[in-house]
Amino acid sequence: MSLLSVDHLSIGYQTKKGLLRAVDNISFDLEQGQSLGFVGESGCGKTTIGMALMGLLPENAVILNGHIRFQGEDLISLTETQWQAVRGAKIAMIFQAAMNALNPVMPVGEQIKEAIITHQPDISKTHLADRMTELFDLVDIPARRMKDYPHEYSGGMKQRAVIAMALACDPALIIADEPTTALDVIVQDQILREIKQVQETTRTGLVFISHDIAVVASVCEQICVMYAGQIVETGTRKEVFKSPRHPYTRTLLNSYLSLDNLNDIRVPDMKESPDQMVETNECRFANSCPACSSACSGRFPDWIDVSATHKVFCCNPDMIRRGRGKS
Amino acid sequence: MEKAESKNRFLVEMRQVTKAYASRKKLFSRSSQQVLALNSIDLGIEHGEIFGLVGQSGSGKTTTGRLLVKLESPTAGEIFFDQTPISQLKGSRLKAYRSRVQMIFQDPYQSLNPHLSIAETVMEPLIVQKAGTPDTRMEKVIHTLETVGLLPGKAFFNRYPHQLSGGQRQRVAIARAIVLEPQFIVADEPTSMLDATIAIQLFKLLGQIKETFGMTLLFITHNLAAARYMCDRIAVIHDGHIVEVNTADNIIRHPEHPYTKKLIKVQPGFKYTR
Amino acid sequence: MQNKYFVSRFYKSWRIFIENPLGKTGVIILGVFMIMAVASFFVPLINPMYDPMTGIDPDIKLSTGPGLTHWLGTDNVGRDILAQLLEGAKVAFVVGLSAAFFSIVIGTLIGMIAGYSGGLVDAFLMRIADIIMVLPSLVILLILASLFGQFNIWIIVFIIAILRWPAVSRVIRSQTLSLKHRPFIEASRVAGASHVRIVLRHIMPNVLPLAFLYMTFRVTSAILVEAALSFLGFGDPSQVSWGMMLQWVWKSGHMFQAPYWLIPPGLCISLLTLAFYMLGRAMDEVLDPRLRKEGRSG
Ligand SMILES: Nc1ncnc2c1ncn2[C@@H]1O[C@H](COP(=O)(O)OP(=O)(O)OP(=O)(O)O)[C@@H](O)[C@H]1O
Ligand SMILES: Nc1ncnc2c1ncn2[C@@H]1O[C@H](COP(=O)(O)OP(=O)(O)OP(=O)(O)O)[C@@H](O)[C@H]1O
Ligand SMILES: [Mg+2]
Ligand SMILES: [Mg+2]
Repeated sequence: MSLLSVDHLSIGYQTKKGLLRAVDNISFDLEQGQSLGFVGESGCGKTTIGMALMGLLPENAVILNGHIRFQGEDLISLTETQWQAVRGAKIAMIFQAAMNALNPVMPVGEQIKEAIITHQPDISKTHLADRMTELFDLVDIPARRMKDYPHEYSGGMKQRAVIAMALACDPALIIADEPTTALDVIVQDQILREIKQVQETTRTGLVFISHDIAVVASVCEQICVMYAGQIVETGTRKEVFKSPRHPYTRTLLNSYLSLDNLNDIRVPDMKESPDQMVETNECRFANSCPACSSACSGRFPDWIDVSATHKVFCCNPDMIRRGRGKS
Repeated sequence: MEKAESKNRFLVEMRQVTKAYASRKKLFSRSSQQVLALNSIDLGIEHGEIFGLVGQSGSGKTTTGRLLVKLESPTAGEIFFDQTPISQLKGSRLKAYRSRVQMIFQDPYQSLNPHLSIAETVMEPLIVQKAGTPDTRMEKVIHTLETVGLLPGKAFFNRYPHQLSGGQRQRVAIARAIVLEPQFIVADEPTSMLDATIAIQLFKLLGQIKETFGMTLLFITHNLAAARYMCDRIAVIHDGHIVEVNTADNIIRHPEHPYTKKLIKVQPGFKYTR
Repeated sequence: MQNKYFVSRFYKSWRIFIENPLGKTGVIILGVFMIMAVASFFVPLINPMYDPMTGIDPDIKLSTGPGLTHWLGTDNVGRDILAQLLEGAKVAFVVGLSAAFFSIVIGTLIGMIAGYSGGLVDAFLMRIADIIMVLPSLVILLILASLFGQFNIWIIVFIIAILRWPAVSRVIRSQTLSLKHRPFIEASRVAGASHVRIVLRHIMPNVLPLAFLYMTFRVTSAILVEAALSFLGFGDPSQVSWGMMLQWVWKSGHMFQAPYWLIPPGLCISLLTLAFYMLGRAMDEVLDPRLRKEGRSG
């Protein structure tokens, strides 16, 4: 039995202009001890998936169809009280803007202490102190700053404190939504290694969301690339990043800046993003697709198997199987 | 005489600027600890250049930006904008300064008022600086939203911040900063939440805006690759000290300070690139 | 531009609110009293003898118990008790809501000004608040009343408002303090917005929910103060209020003879203040976690 299995999940947001289909027909499985990374454009629905897994969707969100099973249990049908036993204890989340979740009028150390005590009410004073030093060490905040208030921390330090808080309760599944976005590269490096190590030693499942392909590539073995609410390519890290097949994945990789590729960066034009209000079978990337051709017209995208694990959602199977499109 | 001439190159200049924050006083203890966020900084930003400020978290990057937009005053030292010491600006001259200098804030989750719609947020600088008429303002807002890639602008301007994704909020924050077409922008990690495709588009866009309006930019980041792509010159800041300033290429190719070398080493390499 | 976000947030809160047992009970009781207050406009139209102040039943000279023409009986000059009770509901709403409203307006303004400006202004305003807060308001009112005789109902409202703003202003001030350094306020400062604009446009919408919460608690205390004042004989003699009814029972010596006259106004005072109190508590439960979680959304 998988730790987590998501099946044909669609989520919409009720807006004034109608239903915005933020997540459209998404399926994936996660085994215990595995790590799965979501990358994709800003606004493609990554956070929405994370929130659905935590039962924290905003009130105007509707689950249109699909299932989320966690340890065999259907999460969608849980009531709020049932959720409380799951959240934090079995599934922990590191939010995208987690540093704002810190209480401004309470020292940071106290808040982490509280998180530990909520899940281990009978922990002894010495154990608690040890655990605290351990956690602060882990995220590289000097222990003397435990008594400081959140506003005295820099953005990065706050985020590190929140990561310590999530790690405090030894969950079975960690959902990390852009946990290192606010961090500098030095700390990011440390934290990513830390998250990976904790995940591997405790065999925790990890759903890791980021817009940064390098970050996802360094943490996760399985990758899902998303565009406009849909998964467009999925496979192992090597398959997706070494031989990307979907034109969007290629665009994404082509525009990634690193210190040694400044000259062959391609800047794609800004295009209108696809209308996610309408339900359509058509290709959503067509408008921005460098490989869109007459071969695509009149066809709907479908899953194309490149290998047993590598799948691509496109309407041009020939191009995908050939592995090289004109781009 | 010579000195005065060389000064003129600079639109913005920080001289011996120090910023100390008092840590919270502990009850019953006399001594209040101080955090030295900036320690005697000297920095000059030339007209029309994109100047990078690179450093670790907590090194004082945001503090530098906040001092420049006058959200905070230095503990010691002086900041000059166009040869004018900004500590003396008050009243209408301060307001005029605010229309020439803008900041893109680091955290788009905190820098948008949850009770204002996107249009109201982006329009505010126009209203308070009395730029344009109510009709032209709305057009300007939509145009600016589209400039930062929130396409189509009409689909976004009625929404509220909680209805946007992190990256979309960041673009709203950028739109608010450029809507007045200021002379100088402090961009505090403006693309930290954006994927590579949109980030690179925005870099290109900031470059274009810079060209068309003759803007000067302070680009704060911890991503050296982005800094190199964007900037003419880069300063490396470490623990409140500027440890090295050089042209973008030189700083990457021939780093001198050990800290710069360390920074270059930990940049995330993406070994799968093509 | 309409603030639709505010409206939608209100609806959401309302749903949680009405599912809360305290909130539901409060709303139901309040609804009954509102119907009573509205009815007070129509009852005198049925028959002038049902006018709560001047309507005297020509057949009755003494206080009588409940009957067919007078469902709750009459007072010692033959006025209908039910009509007075309805009129009292109207007055209680007027006094409670307007006193609460004014004290909230004063408290919110002062709280925002103190919190936003800080320094000497803050210290000065908060010392005044402290002083007023420790003054026993009923005693003050009694002293004033004994100096100046009986009050007009609006003066009572005004005095209650003046005496009851400090608690509100303290809460609003601390909320303002926590908002003051939020980046969205700073962003607006960088754009060149004036202090007045920042306070009205950015801080006020963020503290208003809290102010409304406090308003319900203020209503409770305003109704009680007015009732006490009237019962002690310092109320507005030209207005029928529940406190005034109790004063009449007592003055005419019917305290122990006419329970049908004594109990209804007493019960009404308790029930209405209880209703507002329950509303406040329920609102507290709805608002509080949100206020704490503000900004976490994402
Ligand atoms: N509460 C909401 N109401 C309406 N629309 C929403 C709401 N929350 C998000 N959206 C929209 O749903 C889409 C998906 O948002 P989501 O936050 O999941 O994106 P994301 O992939 O996490 O992006 P980012 O990388 O920028 O954080 C976006 O277009 C966003 O504007
Ligand atoms: N209001 C404040 N009170 C006390 N200390 C502060 C305050 N603001 C910043 N600091 C301290 O000043 C130092 C520099 O902070 P700053 O925010 O400038 O860092 P930064 O380089 O922007 O880091 P990051 O990349 O994490 O945003 C940090 O040690 C921080 O804790
Ligand atoms: Mg997100
Ligand atoms: Mg910063």
